[in-house]
Amino acid sequence: MYGSAYIDPNTKFDGYLAPGEDPAQLAEFEARIAAGDKIEPRDWMPALYRKQLIRMIEQHAHSEIIGSLPEGTWITRAPGFRRKLALMAKVQDEVGHAQLLYNAAETLGKSREDMVNDLLTGKSKYSNVFNYPAVTWADSAVIAWLIDAAAIVNQLANSKGSYGPYSRALDRICAEESFHLKYGHDNVVFLATGTPKQRQMVQEALNRWWEPIMHFFGPPDSASQHTEVLMRWKVKMDTNDNMRQTFLNMYVPKIWDLGLSVPDTELRKNEETGKWEYTEPNWETFKQVINGNGPCNAERLAVRRMAEEKGRWVRRAILKENTEYATPLS
Amino acid sequence: MKINSLDPRIERAQLDSESQQGMNTPMDQFQTYEVFEQKKRGTHHIHVGSVHAPNAELAAVFAKEQYSRRGQCVNIWVAPTTSIYATAYEDADIFETTPSKYHRDPESYKVMDRIQAYKQKQNA
Amino acid sequence: MEMTERHVMGLIELLYKMADDQLIIGHRNSEWTGLGPILEEDIAFSSMAQDKIGQSLALFELLHELGEQDPDTVAFTRNAEQFHCCQLVEAPIGEFNFSIVRQYLFDQAEALRFEMLMASVYEPLAMVSRKFRGEIKYHVMHGKTWIKQLAEGNEESHQRMQEALNEVWPLALGIFEEGDYEKEISEVNIFAGEAALKSRWMETVVPFLESCGLNIPQSDAVTGGRHGQHSPYLQPLLDEMCEVFRIDPNAEW
Repeated sequence: MYGSAYIDPNTKFDGYLAPGEDPAQLAEFEARIAAGDKIEPRDWMPALYRKQLIRMIEQHAHSEIIGSLPEGTWITRAPGFRRKLALMAKVQDEVGHAQLLYNAAETLGKSREDMVNDLLTGKSKYSNVFNYPAVTWADSAVIAWLIDAAAIVNQLANSKGSYGPYSRALDRICAEESFHLKYGHDNVVFLATGTPKQRQMVQEALNRWWEPIMHFFGPPDSASQHTEVLMRWKVKMDTNDNMRQTFLNMYVPKIWDLGLSVPDTELRKNEETGKWEYTEPNWETFKQVINGNGPCNAERLAVRRMAEEKGRWVRRAILKENTEYATPLS
Repeated sequence: MKINSLDPRIERAQLDSESQQGMNTPMDQFQTYEVFEQKKRGTHHIHVGSVHAPNAELAAVFAKEQYSRRGQCVNIWVAPTTSIYATAYEDADIFETTPSKYHRDPESYKVMDRIQAYKQKQNA
Repeated sequence: MEMTERHVMGLIELLYKMADDQLIIGHRNSEWTGLGPILEEDIAFSSMAQDKIGQSLALFELLHELGEQDPDTVAFTRNAEQFHCCQLVEAPIGEFNFSIVRQYLFDQAEALRFEMLMASVYEPLAMVSRKFRGEIKYHVMHGKTWIKQLAEGNEESHQRMQEALNEVWPLALGIFEEGDYEKEISEVNIFAGEAALKSRWMETVVPFLESCGLNIPQSDAVTGGRHGQHSPYLQPLLDEMCEVFRIDPNAEW
C-alpha cells in the first residue's frame, strides 16, 4: 500500500535542467513521455527526474516497511483463523511491496542499504500516517480498508507514470492491494454489523484515523513550476486535492452505508460542483508529525533499527567477501 | 527512554528511544539476482524482478516466496545481475525491420496465385 | 482389525497434538513478520508461518468432523493445560539462530510424520498429508539452506548456530514424547508411532547437522507438553493470541 508520494512544496528549483544537460536530449525525453512511452533505467534522463523519482519511490518503499508496523501491532492477536491468516498475509505483502519498491528505486542508482540507512537516520521520510498507533483491533481494520484504499487511489495514478520499473512494481502491488481492500472492508463490515461493542470499537477507530487519512494525500498543491514539470514528466500523476476528492467520492458513501459517521460535520458532496466539501485538516499537526513529533515516530524508527541490528550477524555471516554489487536491471 | 508499545512483540523487545543501535554501521549489501519464473511447463521463463541474496541457493529460496507465493509456478531461475549483458536502448533501432527483409515474413509468401494459374493451364 | 473407541481416541490425540504444534509454532514464527533479518527472508518466514496456521486449521477441521468443537472455538478458547503441543513450539522466538534451528528441526519431523501419514488408513488424514507435502518440502529446504550457510558462515555464526542447537535439541526431542494410545494407533495403521518417527528423524537430521560441522548435544528430551504440562511461555502466548477473540467469543469477528 502506501505511496503518499506528494512532493514537498518547499523544495527549491533553479529551472529543471541541471548544468551541462542537453536541451536536445531533454526534448527527446519529453517527446517519449508525451507519446506514452516508458523511460527505462539506462535511458538518458534529467537529473531532476532521477532525483525526484528516487525520493518518491524510496519514500514509498519506506512507507511499506514502516507501514507493516501499525497493523503488525495486532498480528499476534487477530481473532480467529480467518483473520489471523489474512492479517499475516497482508502484513507480509507490505514487506513484499517494500522489497519491490526498493528494487525499483535501486535501478536509479541508489543502493538499498543507502536507502535503509537514510530511513534509520531520519534523513528520508515515509508516509506520515504510520506515525499513529493502532489502538485496538478495529484500528487495524480501518487501516486495512481506508488507508489501503487511499493508497490505491495514489498508486493507480502513479502506475501510469513514466518510469518503467516503478510502473511495473505498482502494477503488481495494485493487484495485491485488491485483496487488502477486500479484507479490510470485510473486517470493518463485520465490526460495524456486529455487537454494540464491536460497533463502538470501529467507530472510535474511524474517528481516530480520519484526520490522518485526510492528511494522507498531502497539503493542497501549490501552483509551482515544480508541480507543472513533474506532471509533464509523469512523475506526479495527479494533484493532491484531486486524489483526495477521488477517495472521498469512492469511500465516504461506503462508510455512511454502514451507519458509521465521519468526524467532520462539514463533510458533504456539493451536488452542483460535484466536489466534496470538508473541514481542512490541521496542516500544522501534519508538519509536526513529519518533523518527528507524532505519537509513534520514535517507536517506528527504533523498531526498524532493532530489525536491522538483529539481522546484522546473519547478513555478515553469509555475505561473500568482495561482493560485486550491481544496479538491478529493471 | 524505554519505548512503550501497543505491539506486544515490540514491548517484549524493550526498546530504547535514545539507542543509536543499528545506525552508522558498515554496509553489508548483498548482490542482486534476477528472477525468472515459469508459470507452467511448455512456456518460457519470464523475468519478474530481482532479489538480494549472498548466493544462488538463498536467492532461489527467497525468489520462491517473493515472486510465486500467490501465482502458479513450476520453475524458477535465478542469475546474478552482473552476468546479464543487455543491449542499449539507444540502439533500439537495430531491431527495426526494413521492407527489404520480406524473406522473413510469412505474409510475403503468396503461392496460391501461382498454383491457380498452373492448374488453369493444366486444365486448358 | 476393527476400530474401537480407544483407536478413535488415539486418532483424536494424534490430531490434537499435530494441530496444536502447528498453531503454536505458526503463531510464534509470525512474530517475525515485519521484523526479519533481511527483507526477503521476512517474506519467506512469514509464508511458512502462514502455512503452519493453515495446516493446523485443516487438522482442527478433521477434529471437528470427529465431533470436536469448531476450529476457532478449539484454538481460541482453551487454556494451556488443554493444549497438547510440545514445549519446543512454545518458546519465544529469541534471535534468528534459535528460530531457524527450531524451524528446521520441527519441519524435518513434520515432513517425515506427514510422509508416514500418507499411508494412514484414516483417509482424511492421508489426504491432508498429501496436500501439504509441497509446503513442508519447501520448509525443509528453507531450513537446511539457512542452517548450512550459517553453520559454515563465519566464526560468530557457527558459534551462534551451535548454541542454538544446544538449546533447541532437548526441546526438539520432546516432539516424540509418546501419547497414551501409541499401540492402538499403530496396530490399525493410523500412524506408526512416535518411536518410529523419532528414529527416522534421527537418521535424517544427525548426518545433516554433522555435515554442517555442528555437534549433536547429549541431552534428554524435555517432555510433558503432550500431557498438558507446559513451559511458562504457553499461557501468556495464549492470553495474547486470544485477547480480541475473548472480548466476546460469541461475536463474529
